Amino acid sequence: MAKTSRIPYNIKIQKRLYYSRKLSILTTFSAIIIAFGVAGLFFTIIGLNPLEVYSYIGGVFASPTLLLESFKRAIPIGLAALGLSIAFKMNFWNIGAEGQMYMGMLASTGIVLLHVYYGLIPDYLVLSLMILAAFLTGGLWCCLPAFLKAKMKVNEILTTLMMNYVAMYLVDFLIYGPWRDPKGYGFPLSVPFPEYSKLTVMFGEFAYGGLLLLCLTAVIVFIILRYTKLGFELKIVGENIEIARNAGINLSKVVTVGGFIAGGIAGIGGLTIVSGIIGRLRPRASPGYGYTAIIVVLLSALNPWLIIPVSIFFGGLFVAGDILQATLRIPGAAVEMYQALIFLFIVIGEFMKRYKITITRGVVE
Amino acid sequence: MTELVSLKGIVKHFPGVLANDNVDFTLRRGEIHALLGENGAGKTTLMNILYGLYRPDSGEIYIEGRRIEISSPRDAIKLGVGMVHQNFKLIPSHTILENIILGLKEVGFIINYKKISEEIRKLAESYGWRINPNAYVWQLTAGEKQQVELLKLLYRDARILILDEPTSVLTLQECRILFQALKRMAREGKGIIFITHKLDEVFAISDRVTVMRKGRVVITKETSKTDMSELAQYMVGRPVLFSIQKERTQPSGEAIIIKNLKAFNDKGVLALKGVDLVVKKNEIVGVIGVTGNGQQELVEVIAGLRKAAEGSILIDGINIANSSPDRIIELGVAYIPPEPLKYSIAPNLTIVDNLFMKAYRYKPYSNGILINWKKIYKKADELIKNFQIISPSLSTKAKSLSGGNLQRLILARELSGLIGDKIPKLIVAAYPTKGLDIGATEFVHKTLIEYSRKGSGILFISEDIEEALMISDRVAVMHDGRIVGIFKPGEVDMEKIGLMMAGVQVVPAI
Ligand SMILES: Nc1ncnc2c1ncn2[C@@H]1O[C@H](COP(=O)(O)OP(=O)(O)OP(=O)(O)O)[C@@H](O)[C@H]1O
Ligand SMILES: [Mg+2]
Repeated sequence: MAKTSRIPYNIKIQKRLYYSRKLSILTTFSAIIIAFGVAGLFFTIIGLNPLEVYSYIGGVFASPTLLLESFKRAIPIGLAALGLSIAFKMNFWNIGAEGQMYMGMLASTGIVLLHVYYGLIPDYLVLSLMILAAFLTGGLWCCLPAFLKAKMKVNEILTTLMMNYVAMYLVDFLIYGPWRDPKGYGFPLSVPFPEYSKLTVMFGEFAYGGLLLLCLTAVIVFIILRYTKLGFELKIVGENIEIARNAGINLSKVVTVGGFIAGGIAGIGGLTIVSGIIGRLRPRASPGYGYTAIIVVLLSALNPWLIIPVSIFFGGLFVAGDILQATLRIPGAAVEMYQALIFLFIVIGEFMKRYKITITRGVVE
Repeated sequence: MTELVSLKGIVKHFPGVLANDNVDFTLRRGEIHALLGENGAGKTTLMNILYGLYRPDSGEIYIEGRRIEISSPRDAIKLGVGMVHQNFKLIPSHTILENIILGLKEVGFIINYKKISEEIRKLAESYGWRINPNAYVWQLTAGEKQQVELLKLLYRDARILILDEPTSVLTLQECRILFQALKRMAREGKGIIFITHKLDEVFAISDRVTVMRKGRVVITKETSKTDMSELAQYMVGRPVLFSIQKERTQPSGEAIIIKNLKAFNDKGVLALKGVDLVVKKNEIVGVIGVTGNGQQELVEVIAGLRKAAEGSILIDGINIANSSPDRIIELGVAYIPPEPLKYSIAPNLTIVDNLFMKAYRYKPYSNGILINWKKIYKKADELIKNFQIISPSLSTKAKSLSGGNLQRLILARELSGLIGDKIPKLIVAAYPTKGLDIGATEFVHKTLIEYSRKGSGILFISEDIEEALMISDRVAVMHDGRIVGIFKPGEVDMEKIGLMMAGVQVVPAI
């Protein structure tokens, strides 16, 4: 009992028993709006008119050409996020989508080079083999930490993160070294990909074919999670490892296979960068799509359908970032900053969803 | 005289259920008040309302005559209301002391461990408990954990104590200690609400008894003015059989042969020191003994959840010691774990998910890749009906089931022969009637007997000697990691069993 004469404030943090879907959506939206508000403050401080900045950002989604550009960016982000949704479902905190994407780029470029330099693969097989290779390599890159976690309880956050750097530097090494285009005037670039190895072959425009690929993958992920044995196992493993063990679920198998599929899908995301957006391999080809995918998948609450629009939104932010850099001369870091802000507020929002905070004034008897 | 607690017209809805329907309840000073009712009757809900975990939809709460609002357990504790939950909520990796002072405001920023530690020790001693405040919770037996839960409340000066099925996890000895302590607390003027399913406990300890049924209070009476069959009738709405006539079946071949089985417990101490036991087909073998003498380790080793250090477990001639749980499941072993909530139920998953947590991977529910949800839902509907699991829908989360309904869910999963629609070869049932109301207990006994008639071998771990004698064909006494004697129910001498359970050497009459 408080003995002081002043009236105390009581702050209570309680776990909510239920939270409705409506509340959930509402908090997420408020989080985004607040994030933009705070970013606006920041823009004002560095001497910009936030309204102008936001009109540029809004403009991205209003102009057909820029929207198409946002779609393109959304494709690798969305694919990586779909992969992550499988990993996160089983509580495998994969931070490594970025590295898995680099491995996907590396593998698909490898196939192109085999074809271009050695003529080993017939034209019509190149793209399919690239997809296969990207999936396998990305998958292996995620499978390894998954296996280590399942067998030896090695923390996956560390391993997947470290493997990002390994993958990125491996690409750097190849492209500055043996894979550099001999006719490229010494630039660190691979040979340009031949037309039939690009995703544009599908509809003439990468965005359309890519979007189709994204939607198809979403369907597959949905089916895996909802209708397959593996999906059910992922869910139980994600709930609690001991419970899964008691139910006779083969933990290492589930985690390894789940990790493989997750990484494989991210690997295909990597493929869409080189064979869709850029058309060749270059160092640092991903401006952090694999990290953005983490935000996307959390925002979408692991729902594969939501991942598509949310990726488009973040794809748009990337495009807006480029435009802002070019027109208003905002430093590139600003783009990353408002992404980070959104992330921060989402995390706060998640907390508010789960816990009820009440502040009352007065002595509680 | 003003009542210590008075609840008036409490109503509480959950999605799809009316858990409390206009409930009136009073608790007097110095009284032990038993709260009785079927699984899902709304006992825990009512108490959670008094403890501030749930807000009632309507109704009034009076404490010592004053109308109050309780919006959190914190408020409740300030008002002197304390609750020990059906499932303990201590943090295993903390010491007793830490658990007790956790969330305690008065200790301030700098904690005087020594002083508090001494106070706790004294408090415990005054109730006849011997406790080392610096021991870790994971090292404690169920009985000791409960003492800690109570100490936590007493240390906060709780005057109104709520115990939700406190004895379902205790050994007989521990029960006796608990009852003595509770009576003492009542003499000190505290009010105690005691939820239970066991009628003999009602008569052993309570001054008054309230029976709930389907969310309503059926009756409140002085305990001395009622009897068992009347209470049972109020509870279930029909007369109840207190004992089952079991026809003895002729056991055939062996369902399981355990030879010289040794295993360690979680603390790394040898807990099974060479168990030899055979369960035949068509036979129920009851294992009795004081809890903590290796029963848990024994069932876990059989289920493949604990490593065997030595020895063998043969099922159909195959040694399953140290096989993986899924292989053992496939060989036809059903397992009802001793602590179902610990690792056997996923609280955030739905009832269907929990029901099919093992069967999902077998035909006809899966073709190896895809899951046939239609078949699963159809079967689940059937199971819910057969096992009388009360819940709004199949996609309700398991955590919103009442304690007894959770136990039924496990029984449904393990006993219904989901896997390949075959009956289990061996059923390992550890305390399967724990937390069940009398109707459901009767149902479990009948089910086990029925399976034994159909050909399953049943290894039945129990603490209740009478229960074990009633349904078993043979009873094995377990002490200190060994089977120290095996009897047929007709030819036992209770005194001899008691001695064996206590570890006194008696020449076993096998
Ligand atoms: N958090 C919750 N969400 C939804 N329904 C709930 C919740 N808690 C309890 N219920 C429902 O309310 C009813 C009463 O449950 P309660 O836990 O009070 O029963 P009980 O009398 O304690 O039973 P038992 O003896 O089995 O423990 C049950 O139908 C239960 O499913
Ligand atoms: Mg209950």
